[in-house]
Amino acid sequence: MSISCRNLLVVDRGRQRLAVDHLEVADGETLAVLGPNGAGKSTLLRALVRLEPAATCGEVLLDGEPVAPRKLRTAAAAVLQRPVLQRASVLDNAAAGLRMRGMRQARARRLARPWLDALKIAHLADRHARTLSGGEAQRVAIARALAVQSKVLLLDEPFTGLDATTRADLIADLRAALDQSTAAVLLVTHDRDEGAALAHRTALLLQGRIRQLGATTYVLDAPADLDCAHLLGYTTRLPPELTGRDVLLVARPERCRLLPPGEAPARSAVVVSGTLRRVVPLGGTTRVDVDTAAGPIAVLTTTEVTAAPGDPLCVAVDGRNTRECPPPAICPRSD
Amino acid sequence: MLLDGLLQAARLLLTGDGDTWSIIALTLRVSLTATALALLLGVPLGTALALGRFRGRRVLLTAANTGMGLPPVVVGLFVTVLLWRSGPLGAFGLLYTPTAMVVAQTLIAAPIVAALTAAALQQVDPNFLLQMRALGATRAWALRALLAEARLPLLAVALAGFGAVVSEVGAAQMVGGNIQDETRVLTTAAVLATSRGQFALAIAFGLVLLAIAFAINLLVTLAQQHEARSSAP
Repeated sequence: MSISCRNLLVVDRGRQRLAVDHLEVADGETLAVLGPNGAGKSTLLRALVRLEPAATCGEVLLDGEPVAPRKLRTAAAAVLQRPVLQRASVLDNAAAGLRMRGMRQARARRLARPWLDALKIAHLADRHARTLSGGEAQRVAIARALAVQSKVLLLDEPFTGLDATTRADLIADLRAALDQSTAAVLLVTHDRDEGAALAHRTALLLQGRIRQLGATTYVLDAPADLDCAHLLGYTTRLPPELTGRDVLLVARPERCRLLPPGEAPARSAVVVSGTLRRVVPLGGTTRVDVDTAAGPIAVLTTTEVTAAPGDPLCVAVDGRNTRECPPPAICPRSD
Repeated sequence: MLLDGLLQAARLLLTGDGDTWSIIALTLRVSLTATALALLLGVPLGTALALGRFRGRRVLLTAANTGMGLPPVVVGLFVTVLLWRSGPLGAFGLLYTPTAMVVAQTLIAAPIVAALTAAALQQVDPNFLLQMRALGATRAWALRALLAEARLPLLAVALAGFGAVVSEVGAAQMVGGNIQDETRVLTTAAVLATSRGQFALAIAFGLVLLAIAFAINLLVTLAQQHEARSSAP
């Protein structure tokens, strides 16, 4: 079943929080909505199931038909940012979504159990939910939503607050679980890696509006404007006065390279000269801030940096790794 | 004298003194009924105060919190005036009956139950209702789940309500009148015995009162501990 919305508008205390003209998640598709904190991601998710407390207008449709909020909420299941579990066993928590749809306890437990397996928490089935770690609790919350086998699955930053290993494991297990399901999945996140791992398509949400929408592999690599570029990690800006091009170029700092003295840059490379401001070791990588005539730029490198602050140096970016970037589209705001 | 009181209490209970048992029975009947009614009124009110988004919610919450310290004598006076033969509800002839005592004690316990229920529900994760409804629960299902979530603090709320009414004497005396075999409860009996100089008897009543309060608290606390242990990390 597909879920879509038309002219969805959320206004909170006179401020427009969300304005989405059209968004559709098809049957069996996973759509990531990527945006920074405060962009309106959670608002969008709540508005889609008609649980947003602020004034909301617009239509939400299932398979193209407008539906009543009650029916909408029965068709959908959502996982919120922080797992909210009931004071009960893991199995009973996983079965809660089925229980609230009127299923008897024994049957609900039986149907929920395979989802504990799918999320690798079957061994915790009889544990009390209060005794779980954050990652385990999040797995229970996801299993609870999946067990409903709803037509629409909404995930609100389900990996927040998990350590890197737990998160990577959970993403892999969720990917496998979603492959078994035919639900339309909307994943809200601020992390582009989560989108890349899970979503077929990605929408970029900034200031309550969708700025870019397309296949995940394409969108993550082709920012439409400067704001989108920033969101997607193209944070190193190379303005025309440095590059001699007629348009602003952006690049990922990890794709920029300090040019060793004496080495000639590749013909296609963009080269910018400046002076070293500081070197910040970040564990595996080193961040190098370089002052240029048009302001500071950052480079992430894995090689040893021998230059001292104040030394002149050159930064090279291969032409394949730069993106042309028009200034952000000015969108009309209603506030 | 205290020892005397202890001995007399034991004798009163062991010999199955009819008067004492009827006083204990009435005490339990009145206080438990009042607690049940207060829960019936106070839990929905407290829930509304905790979750509602309506004008005057804070004022009402403050009023309920203030009501926790409501002097039983004031409630007794208020109910007496209402039920007085020439009063607005005088026609029912309820003054100096156990029913009047139940009414007064319900009014004493209801604000306590409401305020503590609101506090108990506000302890639950603020996203609890939203998450339940986002999973597809109806509002009623989600509310029931929320109350179940707060069942331990809610047990304590019931205890606090019972403790407040079983131990109060002002309202029971004023609206009940401490009539032998009709409206005499442990507290008013203890007051009467004391005023007559029958300290041993008064102590005996006091001890029985303590024993009842202890027994009920013990039962509930055991239930609470059992539940809490099973959810301990």
